[in-house]
Amino acid sequence: MTGFQIPRNSLAWMLVAQIAVVLPHFPRLPYWTIALCIGCSLWRVMVFRGRWSYPGRWTKALLVLLGVIGLAFGYGTFLGLDPWVGLLIMMFMLKLIEMHHQRDAYIVILLGYFVALTQFLYNQGIPSSLYIYLCVTMITAALIGLNQTRTHLKPIQTFKKATVLLLQAMPLMIALFILFPRIAPLWTVPLQTDVARTGVGDTMTPGNIALLTQSDELAFRATFEGSAPVFSQLYWRGLVLSRLEGETWSQEDPGLYGRLARPNQPGPWQDNMTLLGDQVKYSVILEPTNRNFLFSLTMPEPISKEGVGLVRDFRFYSFRKIRSKLRYEVSSWLQYRSDVELSPFWRYRYTLLPESSNPRARQLSARLRAGSSDEMDYIRNVLRMYNLQEFVYTLSPPVLGSDSIDSFLLDSKRGFCEHYAGSFTFLMRAAGIPARVVVGYQGGEYNRIGNYVEVRQFDAHAWTEVWQPGQGWLRVDPTSAVAPERIESGLESAIDDEDSFLANLPLSWMKYRQTLWITEIRLQLSAIGHYWDSWVVGYTPGMQMSLLTRYLGDFDRQKLGLIMLLTFFSLLGIVAFIVLGKRSHKKLMAVDRNYLRYCHYLEKQGLPRQIGEGPEDFAGRVCALKPELAVVVNAVTDAYVEANYAANNPSDVRRLRRAIRGFRLKTLSI
Amino acid sequence: MADVTSAFTGSPRFQNWLNKRMPPASSVTLNQRNIFILPTREGLMFGLLIGFMILAGINYQNSLVFGMAFLLVSLLMVSILHTYRNLSGLTIVAGATHSAFAGEDAEYTVILNRLGARTYEALLLGWNPELLQGADLIEDEEVTLKLFVETSRRGRLNPGRMLIQTYYPVGLFRAWSWVDLDVSSIVYPRPIHAGAIPSSSAMSDEGELIQKEGVDDFFGLRTYQDGDPLNHVAWKSYARSEELLTKQFAALADRRVWLDWQFFTGVDTEARLGRLCFWVVQLDSSNDEYGLRLPGVEIHPGRGPAHREKVLTTLALFELGETGGYP
Repeated sequence: MTGFQIPRNSLAWMLVAQIAVVLPHFPRLPYWTIALCIGCSLWRVMVFRGRWSYPGRWTKALLVLLGVIGLAFGYGTFLGLDPWVGLLIMMFMLKLIEMHHQRDAYIVILLGYFVALTQFLYNQGIPSSLYIYLCVTMITAALIGLNQTRTHLKPIQTFKKATVLLLQAMPLMIALFILFPRIAPLWTVPLQTDVARTGVGDTMTPGNIALLTQSDELAFRATFEGSAPVFSQLYWRGLVLSRLEGETWSQEDPGLYGRLARPNQPGPWQDNMTLLGDQVKYSVILEPTNRNFLFSLTMPEPISKEGVGLVRDFRFYSFRKIRSKLRYEVSSWLQYRSDVELSPFWRYRYTLLPESSNPRARQLSARLRAGSSDEMDYIRNVLRMYNLQEFVYTLSPPVLGSDSIDSFLLDSKRGFCEHYAGSFTFLMRAAGIPARVVVGYQGGEYNRIGNYVEVRQFDAHAWTEVWQPGQGWLRVDPTSAVAPERIESGLESAIDDEDSFLANLPLSWMKYRQTLWITEIRLQLSAIGHYWDSWVVGYTPGMQMSLLTRYLGDFDRQKLGLIMLLTFFSLLGIVAFIVLGKRSHKKLMAVDRNYLRYCHYLEKQGLPRQIGEGPEDFAGRVCALKPELAVVVNAVTDAYVEANYAANNPSDVRRLRRAIRGFRLKTLSI
Repeated sequence: MADVTSAFTGSPRFQNWLNKRMPPASSVTLNQRNIFILPTREGLMFGLLIGFMILAGINYQNSLVFGMAFLLVSLLMVSILHTYRNLSGLTIVAGATHSAFAGEDAEYTVILNRLGARTYEALLLGWNPELLQGADLIEDEEVTLKLFVETSRRGRLNPGRMLIQTYYPVGLFRAWSWVDLDVSSIVYPRPIHAGAIPSSSAMSDEGELIQKEGVDDFFGLRTYQDGDPLNHVAWKSYARSEELLTKQFAALADRRVWLDWQFFTGVDTEARLGRLCFWVVQLDSSNDEYGLRLPGVEIHPGRGPAHREKVLTTLALFELGETGGYP
């Protein structure tokens, strides 16, 4: 064991960086790691102060063993990303109290960089990224501190040096980021263990969408090519629920749908589809949902995206759960006619209701159907019922018992979109009309700065699709019969008098939509976030391909590599010029600059100024060697000395310049 | 930190190449001709880390992970420039040298000088790569360093090329130079304890013998110093106070001593020189006048630092010829 003692500057930054780097991981880590982190830091400080010694070999082994067992219990598994990140962090913390050699300190620093990196696997937002770069700067400061003289005790300067280094590295990094050939994953990696994400779920039970609308989290952003459709057209379909069990609507068994449609292999059901009107093209950046469905407007075309297909009920399904931001491009026809005929099988499935549930709703249906001339008339009558009776659109409906559709339709009459969509679909099926519930988002907020529509969790919505012979599937939104302003201008205006919009989030930006300047700032920030998501986070192999093809024309990997190296080294050359350039003279005062010019002339005359030679000594030596220059040399020297030691007076510089000019004339005349 | 390159620096071909590229000079300014730069083991580890990061970026298809990996690649490249910068433009000037007795460390003064606004940090320099001395030039324009070189035997020591290196700022690269400052110092023979000076050695300028051994007039007492003749120790006073004191005699100040090669028989050259060296030190500290007689050399008695240096240098270089005993 050598007595390696880490420099103070380095240790200070190492401890600060350690806390900073581990901090954002804490919510995911078992609580005892906080104690471990603080304990290791304290221990390290005590070692530095000479109070304690490093832990012995057995203590260390015990700590590692306890840590691994603790992690195993904390996570219950060593599969997935979280436990491995936990292990990495534990190693990072324990290595802190095992720094016998300088090499150990380097390992701590390298681990620090890696721990900082793992945060990007969880959060890719701008604030989080800025924070991580701050951490990286601190780790770099620790690295610099390690190489400084022990007497150097200015941690702020060390941090500044780290900042300079990283800022100089920045342009090179950007070049690599854009040009480094991106390739597809080499092997599948263990992904994050599922975290609960706010968002539309796989099923619909009365109350769960209302709960969702308490959140202002971003669901996705959609950028339209050309202008965005009107608000009331923005029905973002997520999934289709056609099975009712108890009071829960769920998806049909996926096996029933058959093959998914892809751009090169359309589904057979796409043949009997008529697309009308204009096509709407848009790209969506979907926030991680931990689910398999993508959102789109009807009627979408299949998209070319790895592992994503169009399901028979016109929505996208991804084979892998969406665990990181996903960007996809869709084109949809807002006007369409599909499935003019429905097979008896599907007709059966779409009219199926649980045996003997909600008897009063069935009676209501029979009564209304008897008073209607045909199915379309029946649909209108049901909607009229919602509209004319005292139905209330509310975020806080009463709790309903069993046969909830009965209680809702005939007793409480207070509900949120899922109550209306669910009960409406029930009434349709009860009358033998094929119907299904669609869950997704409705509306969004148009951001004119970034020209995109931003959809948040409180835009979650449920509606119904009914099937009519010859017309196919038609969208019917029963909520619009109760609260048309929900469809026209969003949730907030629909529940305006209730004062319950984001009631649990007193500080949400969204609550201040009426305040103009707050809205302006919010839209700006959102637009910046959107550009970040589309250009930085969303810079995928495909995106790189299309961007570079636009600017470079056709290219292959070899050409790209060459361009990358050329760009990288040209930029490095510029940085070298900045780092190594003779800027030193610029920094000097005008006086010194002029004097150095004079020294330079003399050097050309074969009279270099010696190291450490003062101006007057130098002048003396020059005068002894070249007496003919004595007058002018002394003039320059006097002017310089005076300018240097007198108060900084501009006329002094002028006098020096004049003297140097005199000196030049003299030397030229000789 | 591991010295990745020192393995081949000892080879004669490399030395020849170095001598051509960087001829010995008392003042050397470092530039692209004489600075070498290579990654350290930590730099290679750092590269490996970046490799893992890029792999993580590919497998997680995470742009920000790529971004950070690329930032570290760029940091690595920029650090080459900074490490190089931390040597380039630095002027190293040879200062005074101090002689040493064989077995001691010879001292060389080296002056580091910066011109202009560029600062230098965490420079390491010295002749022994195991024991480099650190220096900063941040506020000062010039620093003076005392560097030591181990000596083993007498002669003219040319310590050869001095290593100057730096890992600053990030330790991922090592920039270094081997600078030959064209300095040398005299290494005196290692003094060998030889007891009292033979009586026959004390003689007058004219070669006339002085009868007494310089014990005539008691002058005073002073603290015992290594090398004082034991018969001059005031034993009585020692018994009283346990303090070793040496009796001083007035006659000593006047004595002129010849140190002669012929004092010894049956002893080899180095042993003779070592003993002569011992007496020189003794006589000098007691401010005696002494002369030296070696085969073919005779230095008349004298005293003072210049005389001491002349005598010791003669002893150091005796029969060594041009090379000075050190390769």
